[in-house]
Amino acid sequence: MALLEVKDLCVGYRIFEGHLRVLNRARLEVDSGERVGLVGETGCGKTTTVKSILRVLPTPPAEVASGEILYRGADILRMSHRGIRDLRRREMTAIFQDPLQSLNPMFTVGTQLRDILKDSMGGRGRGRLSRREIEARCIAALHETGMPDPERIMHNYPSQLSGGMRQRVCIAEALSREAQLLLADEPTTNLDVTIQDQILRKLDELVDEKGTSVLIITHSMGVVRDLTQRMYIMYAGTMVETGRTKDLLAAPRHPYTQGLMESVPRLTGVGISDGIPGRIPNYLDPPSGCRFHPRCVHVMPVCKETAPEFFSVGEGHVVACYLYRS
Amino acid sequence: MAKYIGLRLVQSIFVLFGLSLLIFSIARVVPGDPARAALGFLASQDQVQQMRVEMHLDKPFPVQYYYWIRNVMHGDLGKSSYTRRPVTTDLAQYIPATLELILFATLISLVFGQIMGILAGYFRNSWFDGLSRLVSYLGIATPSFVIAILLMFLFSQVFRLAPSVGRLPIMMQPPPTVTGFMVLDSLLAGQVKTALVALNHLLLPAFSLAVIHIAQEGRITRSSIVENLNKDYITMHRVHGIRTSRLVFKYLLRPSIIPTITVMGLDFAFLMSNAFLVELVYMWPGFSRYAVTTMLNKDLNAMVAVVVVMGVTFALVNLAVDIIISFLDPTIRIQRRGG
Repeated sequence: MALLEVKDLCVGYRIFEGHLRVLNRARLEVDSGERVGLVGETGCGKTTTVKSILRVLPTPPAEVASGEILYRGADILRMSHRGIRDLRRREMTAIFQDPLQSLNPMFTVGTQLRDILKDSMGGRGRGRLSRREIEARCIAALHETGMPDPERIMHNYPSQLSGGMRQRVCIAEALSREAQLLLADEPTTNLDVTIQDQILRKLDELVDEKGTSVLIITHSMGVVRDLTQRMYIMYAGTMVETGRTKDLLAAPRHPYTQGLMESVPRLTGVGISDGIPGRIPNYLDPPSGCRFHPRCVHVMPVCKETAPEFFSVGEGHVVACYLYRS
Repeated sequence: MAKYIGLRLVQSIFVLFGLSLLIFSIARVVPGDPARAALGFLASQDQVQQMRVEMHLDKPFPVQYYYWIRNVMHGDLGKSSYTRRPVTTDLAQYIPATLELILFATLISLVFGQIMGILAGYFRNSWFDGLSRLVSYLGIATPSFVIAILLMFLFSQVFRLAPSVGRLPIMMQPPPTVTGFMVLDSLLAGQVKTALVALNHLLLPAFSLAVIHIAQEGRITRSSIVENLNKDYITMHRVHGIRTSRLVFKYLLRPSIIPTITVMGLDFAFLMSNAFLVELVYMWPGFSRYAVTTMLNKDLNAMVAVVVVMGVTFALVNLAVDIIISFLDPTIRIQRRGG
């Protein structure tokens, strides 16, 4: 059984102009110990997927229309308040894209880190941590992220730290509890290029050490290649292709994936690619059938009528495209 | 921090000086003869002239101001031409009564306003949010003296739960004056029963004053709670399994209460002068009523003193608000330290 399984998830947003149907039967699986990448352009529903999994979508305006999100077989969407709380405390954790927004500016790093451990692992009883143990663990968690002088950082407010340092604090918060599954939503997008690599390598190292399963969202093909074993390509709220990262990068099958790969600038290439013509559809009135069909160069009549199922094109490599129907 | 407070106090002194000059001149420019007003229409022309000399009104304006400021330096604010007592005596009597009233009103608005704002914000778009919105609009739209009359009618006439006028019943011996706050003085004198009676007298007028501020501050807290609920860091606290009580009362409330505290400071200073109608309805012997009476009677010395007192209140309250906020908001504290 997969650790995390998202099944046909449909999520929309009710806004003044109408109903934005963003996630359209999104599917996703993460196995125990596996590292999975989720790639797609801005606005394709990656963050909505992650927030649904964590059950922190702002409702309203967001609305889960249908689907299931199974964590070890239990549906997160139908869990009790207590159930989801325990899941967050023991099983799942997350890092968001903007470290400048992810830390509460009113409290010191130490206060925030301590409270996380206090609420998820502190208190009395077997296996609970004492105050001193929590303190030691906070410092250890900061130390692990390569932060110099963690004792001093504990007394600092977020505004006294640089972006890279703040993201390290976020990583420390996320990994201090030894969660099973880490959801990383573009953890380096808002950082300096020079810092991005450091942070990713640190994350890679820590996840390896702790054996955490990872679902990482990114725009960057480089990041998926370095960090993940398997990847999903997402377009307009639907997964269009999945497979082992190296297979998929070597031989992308879906016309969208192919376009996406071509738009990555290459050192050896000549000039800049044209990219994919057109843009992400309007979610108020998404295209019928395959949502990519208005932009697709191989469009067939059937594409406009019904959305394609997944067709296998290799070991564990599936594509939602009628080109591979046979 | 101490340096900052010192600087602010020095600034306030200059502001108060300017304020006194301004009100001093305005008081002398507005039509009407203060000497005549002090003596009444039966006084003869000679008596009025004599009064004018006594009040230095025959001297040029700068000389008048010089006399006034020289006396102020000696702690003498002059004599009120209306009560015929030294202005300082009047102030010492009326200020504590109003301070007690508006402090209590502020406390009430803090408690109810915050409870309402937090609940409405956290459960936004729920039935409670809708109800609190309706109640707030009513509270803001209804003048406080109307609320005062309604409350008096309901709780004092119909249900007979609270007295309708004054600070203490006439038959009751007031406690020896220490702070001038009836409740506090009674407690200091060990008279618990008197304290309770005084508190009961305080309830209705204080609540009448508080209603509009409960409504305003509740709305402000609600909107900042809603705004902060959408912040990434609150989502993050949630993701990390922070328990709800800690999330709301620590991580959400701290950033949300800051705008409310600024408004609360302004509201407090505002009440100092605008408690007038409520004081009138409840026959509260307060400063606000005194202030209006002096204006109506062209009581020069008292007018200037009243305005200066209001200025001092504004300055002190704003300073206190700044200190409280810099205590709550570390980003301000860090800036000030220059680090």
